[in-house]
Amino acid sequence: MKPLEIAALATFLAAGAGASAADAPGKPMKMDEPMHGEMKKESMKKGDVKKAAKKKEREMKPMIEKEAAGSTKK
Amino acid sequence: MKKRTMETSLAGHSPGLVRSIERRLFLKQGLSLGALALLSGCDPTDDEGVQSLLKGMSRWNDRAQGWLFNPNKLAPEYPESAITKPFPFNAFYSEEEVTLVDGKDYKLELEGLIREKKPWTLPELYGLPQTSQITRHICVEGWSAIGKWSGVRFSEFLARVGADTSAKYIGFTCADDYYTSIDMETALHPQTLLTFRFADQVLPPKYGFPMKLRIPTKLGFKNPKHIMSMFVSNEYPGGYWEDQGYNWFSGS
Repeated sequence: MKPLEIAALATFLAAGAGASAADAPGKPMKMDEPMHGEMKKESMKKGDVKKAAKKKEREMKPMIEKEAAGSTKK
Repeated sequence: MKKRTMETSLAGHSPGLVRSIERRLFLKQGLSLGALALLSGCDPTDDEGVQSLLKGMSRWNDRAQGWLFNPNKLAPEYPESAITKPFPFNAFYSEEEVTLVDGKDYKLELEGLIREKKPWTLPELYGLPQTSQITRHICVEGWSAIGKWSGVRFSEFLARVGADTSAKYIGFTCADDYYTSIDMETALHPQTLLTFRFADQVLPPKYGFPMKLRIPTKLGFKNPKHIMSMFVSNEYPGGYWEDQGYNWFSGS
């Protein structure tokens, strides 16, 4: 193999490794960025889901606990 | 090109079928006219009254879909050759932002109307009787893909933990903050699986490790991934997309 071909192959392999590392999961979510996908409205940010989940937990938890306590008394 | 009218396209079918389709069309058109009349002159995104009315209609629609749901009707299953490769990734975030859950420390938390609330570790969950299905995942965005999932029948799991199956709802919270809920009839459907494997491999992070609820009778956003906890309740739990106006039942 000629030196130029070796260099090209090395560049190709490095780019491939870089691309797969970039796609690897586990990076922190950028909460202030727009959401991905087609279900969102224009203004929706990724962090909206976390905020909504906390609000939902505050609303549901007392109701679920009360309901479960009521069912164990029966 | 020959123009196909209602008459020509239904030619040869029984009068009963034609009458049934005409009745459905009449109802559909009547409902559309009613909805237009209600919305005329209003901005549905701003008016609280209209929002409340639309939510009420959507909940009524959920109930109607619940009545029509046939718990014995199975979604189509496919051969291995029909599996979509690569299976698409879809979430409200990018693939590199997929949440990584540590399987060693993982425990599924149970709340609400469940008798045995002991958290479940992954080895305990993997030890339950497993089954596989090759079914079509249908996304509300307009695409679909066929995949193979394996896990325990959700009805089997609910029976083991002593869930009150007379309750109306089961809610799920996920490691990526997503949340959703389903009706009990769908939870007990024989094809609703708590899955731990995809394409005969441990569920990869991008498809929902450590577990995904697979419901082939519902749209994709009703199939939560990275499930961390679940609860059984008679209180309507909604869901992230459902609270934004997407149909809660979203199933057949």
